[in-house]
Amino acid sequence: MKKVGEVVLLWLLILFIHNAAGEGYSPPGKPTNISCRSPEKETFTCWWKPGSDGGLPTTYALYYRKEGSQRVFECPDYKTAGKNSCFFSKNVTFVWVNYNITVVATNSRGRAFSDPVDIDVVYIVKPNPPEEVVVNVTEDKDWPFLQVSWKPPKMADTRSGWITLFYEVRLKLENKNKWEEVSAGQRKTLQIYSLRSGGTYEVQVRCKPDHGFWSEWSPSSRVKVPEYFPQERSMWILIVVFAAFILVIFIWMVYMNFHSVKRYLLPPVPGPKIKGIDKQFLKSGKSEDIFSSLVVSDFPPTTSNYEDFLVQYLEVYVPEERELIMDEGKDLQDDSFKTENSTCDNDSGRGSCDSHTLLTDKGGGDKEDGQQSDQEGSQAEADTKSQEEALEEELLACSHENLQSSNVSNEKEKVKSWPSLFSPLPQYSLSPVNRPNPPKTGQQHCLSDSLFTPNSMPSYFTQPGPSTRKGFRSNYWECSFDHKQSHPLHPQSAAHEHLQAQNDLNTAHVDYMGAPLDVHVLNVRPSEYVEVQRVSVEDGVLLHPVSPSQEDSRTLSHQTEDYSRVRVVNNDNGLLLLQRDAIEEEKSMCPYQEDVVSRASITPTLQNSATGINIALPILDEMAASGYIDTATMFGLPTH
Amino acid sequence: MAQRRISGGKLFITGEMCTATDGERAVPVNDLLDRASQRSDKMHSLSTLLTQEMDSHFPPYGRMQMPRPADCHTSALQTPNDKEQALQVSESDLMSLARSLLQAWVDPLAVLSTSAITLPHPSKSSISSKIQELQEHSKSLADGLDILSGKMGPSAQAISFLPYTGGTDLGQDRVTILNKFNFLLSCLRRDSHKIDSFLKVLRCRAAKLQPELC
Repeated sequence: MKKVGEVVLLWLLILFIHNAAGEGYSPPGKPTNISCRSPEKETFTCWWKPGSDGGLPTTYALYYRKEGSQRVFECPDYKTAGKNSCFFSKNVTFVWVNYNITVVATNSRGRAFSDPVDIDVVYIVKPNPPEEVVVNVTEDKDWPFLQVSWKPPKMADTRSGWITLFYEVRLKLENKNKWEEVSAGQRKTLQIYSLRSGGTYEVQVRCKPDHGFWSEWSPSSRVKVPEYFPQERSMWILIVVFAAFILVIFIWMVYMNFHSVKRYLLPPVPGPKIKGIDKQFLKSGKSEDIFSSLVVSDFPPTTSNYEDFLVQYLEVYVPEERELIMDEGKDLQDDSFKTENSTCDNDSGRGSCDSHTLLTDKGGGDKEDGQQSDQEGSQAEADTKSQEEALEEELLACSHENLQSSNVSNEKEKVKSWPSLFSPLPQYSLSPVNRPNPPKTGQQHCLSDSLFTPNSMPSYFTQPGPSTRKGFRSNYWECSFDHKQSHPLHPQSAAHEHLQAQNDLNTAHVDYMGAPLDVHVLNVRPSEYVEVQRVSVEDGVLLHPVSPSQEDSRTLSHQTEDYSRVRVVNNDNGLLLLQRDAIEEEKSMCPYQEDVVSRASITPTLQNSATGINIALPILDEMAASGYIDTATMFGLPTH
Repeated sequence: MAQRRISGGKLFITGEMCTATDGERAVPVNDLLDRASQRSDKMHSLSTLLTQEMDSHFPPYGRMQMPRPADCHTSALQTPNDKEQALQVSESDLMSLARSLLQAWVDPLAVLSTSAITLPHPSKSSISSKIQELQEHSKSLADGLDILSGKMGPSAQAISFLPYTGGTDLGQDRVTILNKFNFLLSCLRRDSHKIDSFLKVLRCRAAKLQPELC
């Protein structure tokens, strides 16, 4: 029994020892990560990473072989470079020679070999950081900059060219995290500008061989930049300069666009455009005329329907003689202002379109009829009517193309605007009214054109109306006289001619009674004035002559409304009464009047004359509308 | 003809080099050396890139089987092995060494160039272009060194003949071809580094006017 117990103890002991021997003891692990570096191409160091030591003290040995030789050497120095390292001194370091290095770990249990590595010293150069880094702030107080200088690492022999180093500097503000790197090439100094005033900088330098690895950064060198420029002042200066620049640019731009700017800020006030005012006339400087012209009969326009002013169409209306005419009279003013075509622009203040002269010339027929037609004998009216018709045709023809000039026969047409006055005046071709006077459109321009020759048409073409018409007179002169000449019994064609020829003449022409067109002329002497004694109910007006003495001066123009002169007696019951001014004008045309008068008796020509008479109608009508007594109305008078 | 001795070596600088003669202004030697060293630097960089490019697709384990660089066709040329030795070499000798090495690589570069076109390697086009560039640099550098050596005396113009005996064919199978290619490239890398080092040493020796470079 005792023996068995000893055997068991012995077994246990052996077992224990056996176990104790195997536990924690193992051969060492393989060293790994062998890396070597040479700082100056003259020496080099290798480091390795040891494996597990197997629980036993492990020793490491580095062995190397040079190329072309099988001889194995061991590391000469394990201490200089620290633990797990091997330092190769100059004596054992050769360049352009391959080293085959192996590290062996040995412990009591065994040994382990690392993987061999081949190195060539010239390929593993990693220099030490540059030394003696000096950073100075220059003495320049206005614009300081940093002057950085350094020296190559001690061991590196750059003087002989054995090693070539390139440098790099980096700096940052002390409280920031971003480094700014600057390359310095092979130089050993560097200047850094654009510093922050009052900032503190950290500067570091590193180097690298031409074919190798970068060194570590040198320790930071701190430097403080003095306050060299108050930033506020610089900012203000910048702002001022910028603002001045902007101001200069702005002024220059305004200067270049002065006119457009002025127009934008101070838009031009449109000049007054007064109807019936002739600029040229005003410029003539005759005060009386000017004043009288200022008092325009048709202003303010009493026509209720302003729309009519703009509507321009010509209606030739040959009413049933007098009633219509008479009725028209009142309406004419309204209707008359609807001229179809207007050569005048709607907004013009010139009023030439609506010149009274034109009205008087053309409007004759309807106007006069309407106003006083019934006063006269039916005869006159009849005459007028025929005249009116003729004139109307002409007017129609004459007035713009828009006019229904073709409707010579459309006696039904109403000649609107002043043309309405001319309804019975188809014969007269009116030069197209250039200036579409709102109320009336003197399409009957051409009439005047045709009616007058520039100076040859004297008496007829007095302006039977306010002096304003005189202003237009000149225009009329240009009226195509050919019309007049060619016209006589062909109102229509004449009208057309007229129309074409005198498109640009203003209505003033119309003033002139189409004397050439066989306007009937009353036997009454131009210089004679008659006064309307009374208006007979039966379409007659009793005239009674007035002494001409009162009529002379134009100054009496204001009184013209009181007196009127029988201008023409239409054998169709039309009597043309002219206002003073017109009468005066007429005087000049006396001579011609004779001819007209002579023709007045011709029935066929009555119509023509009626036209002329009718021409005046619209003008007169216009005047009447404005408050003036437009006595120059045309109404047919029987030719006696 | 003036001779100037520079510590550690002899540098023969002819009078024609230092002064203008006959209205013709010679480029200073240090300028020429500077240009030459820059070109050799470029050459070495190219060869380094080449080896890295080769290794990227060709694991280095294969290199274990390669013949060692000690067998480079230029290994016969005696070159300094450390700094002390190198600094004791005369300028002419350094120039001669550089020129000899350069000359020794004309043929192998041609072989490499033709082999690169059909190289069983994914980056063969890039490799081929780099080799061509190397050839150009080598040619121009050789020309420059010829001029330089002419200024440095007859000993500088002596070139050691280092024939390449590897033949135009690198091998038949892929592994052999790649191994040979790698081997040649490693030899080239070292020799280009030697050339570059020699020229830079020469440069610093001649740069008395520009000491800041050295």
